Amino acid sequence: MSEHVNLTRTAAFEKRLKRRYAAERIFRRAGLAAILFSIAVLLFLLVTMTANGIGGFKRVTLSVPIDFTEVGLALPQGMEGQGMAIRSLESQGLEEVVSFYAGQAMGEDAAAQLSADAWRVAADHIVEDPSILRRRVELDLPASEDLSAAYAGDGQAALQPLARRLAEQGFLSDSFDPGFLSRSDATDSQAVGIWGALKGSILTMLVTLALAFPIGVLAALYLEEYAPRNRWTDLIEVSINNLAAVPSIIFGLLGLAVFLGAFPYLRSAPIIGGMTLALMTMPVIVISGRNAIKAVPPSIRDGALAIGASPVQVVFHHVLPLALPGILTGTIIGMARALGETAPLLMIGMRAFVATPPDGFTAPATVLPVQIFLWSDEIDRGFVERTSAAIIVLLLFLLVMNGLAIYLRNRFEKTW
Amino acid sequence: MVTDLPSNAEPKMRARDVSVFYGDKKAVDSVSIDIQTEYVTAFIGPSGCGKSTFLRAFNRMNDTIGSARVEGCIELDGEDIYKSGMDVVQLRARVGMVFQKPNPFPKSIYENVAYGPRIHGFAEGKADLDAVVERSLRRAGLWDEVKDRLTDSGTALSGGQQQRLCIARAIAVEPEVILMDEPASALDPIATAKIEELIDELRGRYAIIIVTHSMQQAARVSQRTAFFHLGHLVEYGETSQIFTMPREERTKDYITGRYG
Repeated sequence: MSEHVNLTRTAAFEKRLKRRYAAERIFRRAGLAAILFSIAVLLFLLVTMTANGIGGFKRVTLSVPIDFTEVGLALPQGMEGQGMAIRSLESQGLEEVVSFYAGQAMGEDAAAQLSADAWRVAADHIVEDPSILRRRVELDLPASEDLSAAYAGDGQAALQPLARRLAEQGFLSDSFDPGFLSRSDATDSQAVGIWGALKGSILTMLVTLALAFPIGVLAALYLEEYAPRNRWTDLIEVSINNLAAVPSIIFGLLGLAVFLGAFPYLRSAPIIGGMTLALMTMPVIVISGRNAIKAVPPSIRDGALAIGASPVQVVFHHVLPLALPGILTGTIIGMARALGETAPLLMIGMRAFVATPPDGFTAPATVLPVQIFLWSDEIDRGFVERTSAAIIVLLLFLLVMNGLAIYLRNRFEKTW
Repeated sequence: MVTDLPSNAEPKMRARDVSVFYGDKKAVDSVSIDIQTEYVTAFIGPSGCGKSTFLRAFNRMNDTIGSARVEGCIELDGEDIYKSGMDVVQLRARVGMVFQKPNPFPKSIYENVAYGPRIHGFAEGKADLDAVVERSLRRAGLWDEVKDRLTDSGTALSGGQQQRLCIARAIAVEPEVILMDEPASALDPIATAKIEELIDELRGRYAIIIVTHSMQQAARVSQRTAFFHLGHLVEYGETSQIFTMPREERTKDYITGRYG
């Protein structure tokens, strides 16, 4: 009688078992290390970005006491529009008034270090609240770039004593600058704002979404639900996959040649930028959309068909709602990529210096990443912080977009 | 082989020389059969014998499979359902289907049942639709279990309840024929017993064709049984006759457990 050997109770088996556990431990630790590394890199990025960028949201200002009762400036009655009022104040000599009071309070050398735009800020205050023309007020007006640099401890050595004196006297300070979120590009780093680029980005993204989402989803639905499987659809599938991998600068050239060729007067316009980015985003939506549609169980289709739903009803009542979370995820990935895209927009002229926020889809505009690119190229020291601040705005915008996508995905998520 | 059984009524559905191909492969080989309204008809046979494929030919569900092709003719009330110009949507409203794996829509129980009547415009207003839903769920024997949670998801029910929900969904559009493709094969014995009871209650109101692996089930619920083997209809007759004195050797071998 041969002895029965139990294979799972030998020493060799236990050794193999130990090796298997060891392999699993190593794999788990490697994965954990990868995650920790990613988190560390992300934290480093966020911390340095915030540390550098927080200064970009501040502005160095000189506090100038102005007694408007002595001056006799008047806001013209019945004049519509801010521009007219400001022009009227300019012709009444507001700039000289500001400069005079600054000199009186802080000395001529300090008055010379007011930003060239200081009187405009004063004018904005007046337009906002005309009653200050009948009062004595203290206005926080932006300091010049040189004085701001001196206040921060660098820039011209000659200005540093002045900056120290003014700071001690309480005239010079830095404060949170809400204007950074409402102004547009400028040559002076103290006068720039991000709103123009942010609005440009929003308008461009709207055009991209409006074009790429419906076209991408319809293309995905057609290819998955209706198109016959033959050589032509194979060719289309390969083309779409290739399109998703084409470098973005090529799309920029395409936009330049096709869209700007057709509409030469829309250079730098969000609509052209949006159309160009839509070309780039659409294949991403088609690919993710097709995967999401493929993942809808065929039993749901069968169930709907078997009670007499027409193919269109099957698609719109059952397939699309179930595929929507996946489609949205793909869409947001495509949109996030489009939002961060610079190269194709440079090709169609969205790198222009645009000092006013775009007032429509056809007005000249720039977008956040291009603005960051432009500011990072500036020589002036003040733009370093502004660039970091702009990056923070871009990342926050991205965060809001992703948050919205996750919210929508969870809302439409269904289990089967 | 044409099998005509004596019946006092015109057949509800009539298949003549029906062959179904998947590409070049012939899955069903010129089968002819009559389906009567007053009976439950069971299709039995070993796996891969073509019985499910043949069943799906009765409401043209094979159309959804690109490589499938049907030859021959199937008539519903004397009208060829494969003729050109046949409205498939209308056909499927008249010939409902219940699948092997319960497939409720990931919507509420109410919506699952209301979906069919709604897309076909059978119900006028909310009250009417409520009545249709209640009637269908009652007929499917599910009403008492779900009447307090009609807004819960249909997928949250147990397997047997899901299958009865699918049956309620099918009968909500008042079909004339119900095709059941192994409706109880994914269920436990208790849920299976409930489905079988339900089939028995639905008999007479609808012509029912049920495909099943279980010979006991065929014997319990059906009045007519058709035995398929390798794409052929081997024998079709009264269920009692098929199970007690089959005419064909192959039928006898199968029901006595010799193969399959």
